Amino acid sequence: MSEAFFSVNDLLRRKLQTGIAITSLTLCVASTLFLLLFGERVGTGVFTAAQNRLTAGFSAILDNFMLFIGVLVFLVGVVIVSFTVFVMMSQRIRDIGLMKAAGCPNDLVFGYFMTELVITAIIGCSAGVALALVIDFGSASLLSSLGFAIPQTPFNYWLVLLVFGVFFAIALVLGAKPILDTARVEPAKAISPSYYFGMSKEPGVKVFSKSGLTFKIAMRSLFRRRSATIRIVLCLSIVFLLVTISVAGGIIADGTTRSWIERAVGKNVVLIAQQDMAAQYVGLLSKFYKTVQDSAFDYANVQYAVAESIINYLSSKPEITGVDPRLVLRMSVAEIRNFTFNPDTGETIPVGDDRKSVSLVVGIAPSQVLNNWLVDGRFIQDNQSREAMIGDSLASAMFSVPLSQGIRVAGNDFSIVGLCFDPINNGNVTYVPLETLQNMTGVGGPNVVLVKIAPSADRPQVISQIKAEVTAINPTFVVVELDDVLDSMLGFLGYVWSSIILLPLFSLVAASLCLIGYVMLSIAEQRQEFGVLRALGAKPGTIVKIVSGQSFVVLLAGYTVGVAFGIIATLLILVPNPLVTNYTVVQIAAWLLIALIATFIVSLYPALRFSKRSLREIMI
Amino acid sequence: MEAVVVSNLNKTYEVGDVKVDALKSINIKIGEGEFAAICGPSGSGKTTLLNIIGGIDKPSDGKILVFGDDLTVKDEDFLASFRCNKVGFVFQSYNLVSTLTTAENITFPMEWAHKPEEYVIKRLNELLETVDLQHRADHFPFQLSGGEQQRVAFARALANNPPLLLADEPTGNLDTKTGQKIVQLLQKLKDEKKTVIVATHDERMMELADQKLYLEDGELVTPDE
Repeated sequence: MSEAFFSVNDLLRRKLQTGIAITSLTLCVASTLFLLLFGERVGTGVFTAAQNRLTAGFSAILDNFMLFIGVLVFLVGVVIVSFTVFVMMSQRIRDIGLMKAAGCPNDLVFGYFMTELVITAIIGCSAGVALALVIDFGSASLLSSLGFAIPQTPFNYWLVLLVFGVFFAIALVLGAKPILDTARVEPAKAISPSYYFGMSKEPGVKVFSKSGLTFKIAMRSLFRRRSATIRIVLCLSIVFLLVTISVAGGIIADGTTRSWIERAVGKNVVLIAQQDMAAQYVGLLSKFYKTVQDSAFDYANVQYAVAESIINYLSSKPEITGVDPRLVLRMSVAEIRNFTFNPDTGETIPVGDDRKSVSLVVGIAPSQVLNNWLVDGRFIQDNQSREAMIGDSLASAMFSVPLSQGIRVAGNDFSIVGLCFDPINNGNVTYVPLETLQNMTGVGGPNVVLVKIAPSADRPQVISQIKAEVTAINPTFVVVELDDVLDSMLGFLGYVWSSIILLPLFSLVAASLCLIGYVMLSIAEQRQEFGVLRALGAKPGTIVKIVSGQSFVVLLAGYTVGVAFGIIATLLILVPNPLVTNYTVVQIAAWLLIALIATFIVSLYPALRFSKRSLREIMI
Repeated sequence: MEAVVVSNLNKTYEVGDVKVDALKSINIKIGEGEFAAICGPSGSGKTTLLNIIGGIDKPSDGKILVFGDDLTVKDEDFLASFRCNKVGFVFQSYNLVSTLTTAENITFPMEWAHKPEEYVIKRLNELLETVDLQHRADHFPFQLSGGEQQRVAFARALANNPPLLLADEPTGNLDTKTGQKIVQLLQKLKDEKKTVIVATHDERMMELADQKLYLEDGELVTPDE
């Protein structure tokens, strides 16, 4: 019999086990590859830095997440592949022993089962690559249909080859060991259950003697199958760590970053400006979620100036709770170097350099500002004409210790008092007092006005009144509701975070399959005993109780470890200033509970399937 | 009253396209308190017949009444309860639960029958004494010899004091001396007027039998045939 013939037949004979092994491999390869491809597509992640979308602050958080999750997804993949091949080979060790007992030479035994492993690894890894590419294509199409201009990146053959190669090698290396180990043991040992199920003979843990019979049998079997039990608990722990970080971290980061954006843009805010200026302003905000090329635009053009009469009208309208006039310009800015003194050495140490850049410079009236940015440092004070607040991208691109430095705008020096997360111009922005900017540039007045409408007001009616009045004063002026832009920003953020949250679903499904494999191994080991129990009066439900008890204990052990470490990692490492509300906690708890329940229900399948078998079938 | 009535019973297994007739037109009546021995070569259908009488397997057609209950029409819940309370089964290969001690192996059928704890302890001591294994109560099956495991299997089968005991070649895996203890145990059960059906090749057990049934290729035959 040829090696390939035997191997293919053996794999086909064990359809369910083969299916589980291949599917687990497929999902591990697919989740890792998709994560890398997705990272490239959204312009952040493991291999690439932020590319013209998302501010530096957001990218830093996303990068952290993608890197952490990328490492975990890969680790989960390795552990799952290791467990899958361990189970696959454990189910064959007895056969290997029998073949050896019948006189089959070691090298032939090794060849038969190694061929099976190679076939499984090739199919699993290839299917994983195919699945990842399909999901990547689907996700790109979905992004496009949602209106996010994500450029089609060229197909990265090297990435595909790398992921395929790594997982293929891992499967072969980890799978070859149990085959080699078994090929070396004496046949008598290989056909002994205590060897092929990795069982120690005596239960290592004392179980309370008055506990129920099903619990007693379940627990003792669990501790006897120590090797497999430790592996599945380890596998589930890492999977739940990944799930927790992705779900809890994703939900917290989503909520936190949404709140930053909402605070920076403001809700119920309406923009009033000349139509070209309004389009330009919206374009500057859109840079957060799509690639927008900078074009020549004369911000200082006098036709964009907002007339005094418009501001007066807006200020007098009772339904309007705030009027925020701004002068938006595009100007050259320069870093101002600072010095610190080292008291120990008496040395003066320079901080920063003399870097130059072009930034959006926005003049604001501090007391009238409608936004409530998340600020590192503090906001500009009303009576301070030489204070500036800069956006996170400008800070990270051009300053070493921004809050200890200053910024030069058109030859005028400002102290940097705060850093803000701001989506406008993708965080490349400098806020200075409006009056100072007007004096510096000679531009007569603001070129945009933001107004906030009272939540109790009839919004459509108020907007239509503003439109009528503003166009009566200047027909080229328009009224734009910024909530639409805000929704697009939040939609993009939501898409990014939900994609990250959904990624571990692959790993969770793969882990569920591993648990099914473990339960199948457990049933195979106890098959004869379950038959005896049923022959002596146990109902099929009793067997389901024993098996489900075992899978619940390993699941709970993995869940507890994974969730505990996951929450600590999420709160301490990943999100700065996390926004955690009662609703967030309930949402996270609900998702994690759903993951636990779903995994447990899936793990019941082999037990339910086994319970439907006739008693005679089990006893044979 | 008859304990077991088997009428026109057939059992056919299908292995792929091949049909194997394991039992053909079996008719048996075994009275209450009777000791019946089923003899025959390997593959003659002894175990299949015992399995059907014990509610482990179902016939392809025919009728099987045990203490008046037609097992062919009963569902799995009834059969589970029937096997727990009405039948004690002793397997050739002992089939003890490896994760339970001797005492636990003997008591678990009583737990399923919801017997009170005091009763379970009293009955356990009685059974350990019957099979002479008081000193092995806390040992696991792998710590017992073959003969001891078979005696535990007998004690387990008798735990709920079932009116019918089925034993499938109980001495088949034992040496002559150890097998003798099992024969003595069966003699004791016969004296207690239990209905016992044993599938066996063992001459010593055949001598105990009130009724001897010979099976050959799934059919009942008379010894001179």
